[in-house]
Amino acid sequence: MTSSTTDNVPPIERLRSSVPGLDQILGGGLFRTGVYIIQGLPGCGKTILANQICYGHVAEGGAAVYVTLLAESHSRMIQHLSALSFFDVRAFPDKLAYISAFHELETSGLKGLMSVLRREMRTRKVGVLVLDGLVAASEGASDIDLKKFIHELQSIAVLQDCTVLLLTSGNIHRMAAEHTMVDGLVELEDKLFDARSERSIQVRKFRGAGPLRGKHSMRIDNDGITVFPRIESLYRIAAADTTTSEGAVTSGVPSLDALLAIRGVPASSATVVIGSTGTGKTTLGLHFLHASTPEEPGLHLGFFEGPDRLRSKARSMGMALEPLVASGAVELMWQSPVEATVDEIAERLLAAVSRRAVRRLVIDGLSGFLESTVYPERITRFFSCLVNELRNRRVTVLMTLETRDVVSSVVSMPWGVSGLVDNLFFLRFVHDEGHVERLLTIIKMRDTEYEAGLRRLKIDSQGMHIAGTYRADGDVIPSAQPVASPEGPAPSPSK
Amino acid sequence: MKTILVVDDELGSAEVLSLILEEEGYRAFCAVNGRQALIQARDVVPDLVIVDFMMPLMNGAEFSRELRADAQFTGTKIILNSGLPEAAIREQFDGYDAFLRKPFKVETLLDLVQRFIGR
Repeated sequence: MTSSTTDNVPPIERLRSSVPGLDQILGGGLFRTGVYIIQGLPGCGKTILANQICYGHVAEGGAAVYVTLLAESHSRMIQHLSALSFFDVRAFPDKLAYISAFHELETSGLKGLMSVLRREMRTRKVGVLVLDGLVAASEGASDIDLKKFIHELQSIAVLQDCTVLLLTSGNIHRMAAEHTMVDGLVELEDKLFDARSERSIQVRKFRGAGPLRGKHSMRIDNDGITVFPRIESLYRIAAADTTTSEGAVTSGVPSLDALLAIRGVPASSATVVIGSTGTGKTTLGLHFLHASTPEEPGLHLGFFEGPDRLRSKARSMGMALEPLVASGAVELMWQSPVEATVDEIAERLLAAVSRRAVRRLVIDGLSGFLESTVYPERITRFFSCLVNELRNRRVTVLMTLETRDVVSSVVSMPWGVSGLVDNLFFLRFVHDEGHVERLLTIIKMRDTEYEAGLRRLKIDSQGMHIAGTYRADGDVIPSAQPVASPEGPAPSPSK
Repeated sequence: MKTILVVDDELGSAEVLSLILEEEGYRAFCAVNGRQALIQARDVVPDLVIVDFMMPLMNGAEFSRELRADAQFTGTKIILNSGLPEAAIREQFDGYDAFLRKPFKVETLLDLVQRFIGR
């Protein structure tokens, strides 16, 4: 008796792309023997993407052929590609070849082109075939001819165990006949946001699996293309309930810990320190970092102050970071807020957290993330996912956020930060009888008792410490509660 | 008049080269792959062949080997060209008289042509 259950149907193997991040959004890679369209306007990275897949396949022992129609000349393409790290001249011509099929297309139409593709797949025994210039192939052909061409290509691809990539710069917003036939449609975009452009990739169609939907950012550099999956699509699981079960983590300031019932912030919690410039946010972050040990490693991600400046600042307050860096207890990471996407920064951050099993993390300058995004409306969801993921990885996080007003009784709280984090400390200046004083208020602690009220904060050569309770006898009595920003979720960034 | 056969699957560049060679006083023919070039070579018996390395059906190395094996082409010079560096090609095939790395200047090519077959 034979069984006809789906258990007997073997899954289609995947083709690893060797494009970092791409297989992640495809759920494991392209399906082998599939026919895929890679679409986008000139300059968006189609040629590099297809070549990177070819060279990656060759590096794994396979063979590939790159067939052009009316496209960049082969010699020029080789010149451009030779600057990229994946280029390998040893691949030619047995494992990788660039050939033109335009003559056949011109003289014999799609039939002639198909004959070249069929022959190349068979004779070279390639696992990947790229046809660059689908627009040229489709010009003058009817929809039905084009569909038949794709259909035949799919049949041959299966018979020859070859994955086919069709590159086209056709109208990306038009549903073309070929789109209905192919196994997948990947769209590349290079979009301008004011003066800044951001590359993205979107899997619009992918038969047989559910890719990570939506646009994902993409970078092109000397290593070719790297895709950074959107963090909201990657980490959708809820955060583990860790804040009450793992005890306390010192803030690094003993007199601040003394205000908290568990003598520190809850382990795996997220704390935001909010305040204007000069109130001591970075200093508190340095104290938190300085409490790192090789067993409980720390990481500092700074958007504005580089490692040298941080080391010097810490030294001036009696904290030597150098030995901690040397012992591996601390890593200082600097990130330009304008040269990377938020997903790229998040990926870099989470990779650094995993690499050293980081337990204490300082993110100095949360608005660095805001400056890095071209989609400010995304930032709350992005940030929620990042914080959740850090909680899941048992990381205790301290983040700083700068307010715009140096002395103010009202604080605008951007991005709904209050709802996303566990603990909130508010640092501020007040005028009091001719003096300017720093104050600290604990606004919120999740699941932990704390001493509320205004505390004087001193910063000297011994660092930061709480210097008693503040009694507001002067003219200015600051508000005890930050309020939500009336302008909406994303104000223009300060620091 | 000396005869030159230009073989390149990128037909546009083959055609442009042919036109330049004709302007220089040569008789020039084009082919888009090695197999087509062999047929044409038997027909026109070129004094010199300018052949691309990577082509469909029959590549530049395979074509040159076939040409060399045919006695009627004993005197035919072969200029192989490619976007790849010569070292990468020489490991697999060295049966050519000169190599030109693409993109090359037309003067460089014309100097070579003149050196091999004169005008």
